[in-house]
Amino acid sequence: MGRYIIRRLLQAIPLLILVSVVVFILIHLLPGGPERVLFNPRLSAAAREALKVRLGLDKPIWLQYVFWLKGAVTGDFGNSFADGQLVISDIGARVPATIELFGAALLFALIIAVPLGIISAVRQYGLADYSITILGYFGISMPIFFFALIMQEIFSVKLGWLPDFGRSSDADFATGFDYFLDYLLHLILPMIVLSLAFMAGWSRYMRSSMLEVIRQDYMRTARAKGLGPVRVLLRHGIRNALIPLLTIVALDFGGIAGGAAVTETIFAWPGLGRLFLDALSARDYPVLLAMLLMSAVVVVLFNLIADVLYGVLDPRIRFG
Amino acid sequence: MSSTSQQVIPPSLPEGESLDFLTLTPQLARKRRSQLRIIADRFVRNRIAVVGMVVLAIITLATIFAPFLTHASAVDPDPSIKLDLNNIFGAPSLLHPLGTDELGRDELARILYGGRVSLLVGISSMAVALLFGIGIGTFAGYYGGLLDNLLMRFTDVILAIPLYLLLFVLSASFSNGSVLNVVFLIAIFGWTYTARLVRGEFLALKEREFVLAARTLGATNMRLMLRHILPNAAGPIIVNATLLVGANIILESVLSFFGFGIQIPLASWGSMVATARDYFLEDPILVWAPGLCILIVVLSFNLMGDGLRDALDPYLTER
Repeated sequence: MGRYIIRRLLQAIPLLILVSVVVFILIHLLPGGPERVLFNPRLSAAAREALKVRLGLDKPIWLQYVFWLKGAVTGDFGNSFADGQLVISDIGARVPATIELFGAALLFALIIAVPLGIISAVRQYGLADYSITILGYFGISMPIFFFALIMQEIFSVKLGWLPDFGRSSDADFATGFDYFLDYLLHLILPMIVLSLAFMAGWSRYMRSSMLEVIRQDYMRTARAKGLGPVRVLLRHGIRNALIPLLTIVALDFGGIAGGAAVTETIFAWPGLGRLFLDALSARDYPVLLAMLLMSAVVVVLFNLIADVLYGVLDPRIRFG
Repeated sequence: MSSTSQQVIPPSLPEGESLDFLTLTPQLARKRRSQLRIIADRFVRNRIAVVGMVVLAIITLATIFAPFLTHASAVDPDPSIKLDLNNIFGAPSLLHPLGTDELGRDELARILYGGRVSLLVGISSMAVALLFGIGIGTFAGYYGGLLDNLLMRFTDVILAIPLYLLLFVLSASFSNGSVLNVVFLIAIFGWTYTARLVRGEFLALKEREFVLAARTLGATNMRLMLRHILPNAAGPIIVNATLLVGANIILESVLSFFGFGIQIPLASWGSMVATARDYFLEDPILVWAPGLCILIVVLSFNLMGDGLRDALDPYLTER
């Protein structure tokens, strides 16, 4: 097992180096990348040259890449063009909000998807199964920005039940609990919006995984030994059906990142997705580079986790 | 599919036995249907998938015949860009069934002409992506070895970067917002799944006896790939293609929503929602109409794709 993980980690390194090359080339092809800063008409030619040297832009592109990668490995992505701060601290400042949204959406999607998938499987071809399937199709087909807009309109603008954007109010609250409640209320809408598409996909997946498990011999054995149907389902069925679902959850990470960018923008959530889109419109290319590379690292890492998790949870799988 | 089977009488038929079981009963006739017919019959039995197909047909026809459904004339060949600032946020009326938008343009015309763009982008980017995917998957799966390794590592690189982020960056920098540009941007990254799918099919099929038989008869590599293996992988590819159209329409709408996709004055459902967002309170139809259109079209493609999946699956027993 340990050797398997090490081998996979070593395999990931050339992949990530390739990703870094591709990303670097892409960003350098951006029209108005670094020039946006350099070609400020108020800058004198000398100042422009000095800036070029300071940013390392006078060097050939492959050398720039080597310098950038050397820094990137140690977490040094240079300074943001937009605010002059260290890229890594700009990104770091946004991480908590994104983890909060990601975690909440992930949990919420699982809490809804798993029971729906189980009901669908147990009542296969029944009314409940058909209703859940139809709902699932709607969830998968819903454009996330449209869903976000109508949820925002209905629940915060029309009904006024929930705050319409942001992560918290700027108000002073009397107790810590009030602060907590404020954060919670702000979280609900973005969480629901971000989780919808994955909820639908995962419940479909849970259904087929559960159908597979229900037919297994050990389920019949457990029944024969005198366990009640609900007990068998809970103790023997769900645990085994969850294994393949967990790997799918890990593999879907890249997709959630895209959805998060959309959700964060509409709900003005101060997370990484919005940082990315802001950096894109400002052509803040050190930030873009860092975020593209880091997201690829996380995707590759999650793929690895998915594979390892599968082996840990399912003893039938042996690592070769 | 021989029709002579009824007349085949073996020379020695034991007394009292007949070959009645060979006559064409309705049950047998059912079994004799052509492959296409079997697939069509199975598909039709899936009512939800048929509904999806009919809805798509209606919407496609409506967008094609948009000039006749709206008030197009020789003076205004494209009513979706005709401004009428005296009639902004107009309520639905006989002349404007969905009302008018913030510049007084007929909303129905915008929806229909926007639908042309969305469907065109979805379908043509699917076609381009399929071409890439089938090509790469075919070579990787058939030849294997170093070529396979190279192509699949290349696929891994693209799959490692979250698709939305990649598309945002590329469309912000390279796209001029024309339909052709958006189609190619979506297609350039849409082929990865198809390539993996086709490669998998090829890996499994190339070891089969019929391929060996064809090779023994002297078929070239190209002929083996295109005439013998690829047609056998058609089922999964067709399903993938259908689902890909839905996914691409969503992608296009997200890009257009953020202003990275189709540019004005061309209407696109995504950009229509983005603009109407500011007027949600004054005129909710402007958000709901294009939004629901995306939902319905994508839903229909997904339903149809799943119906096709069942209909094309040879292992599925007839119910």
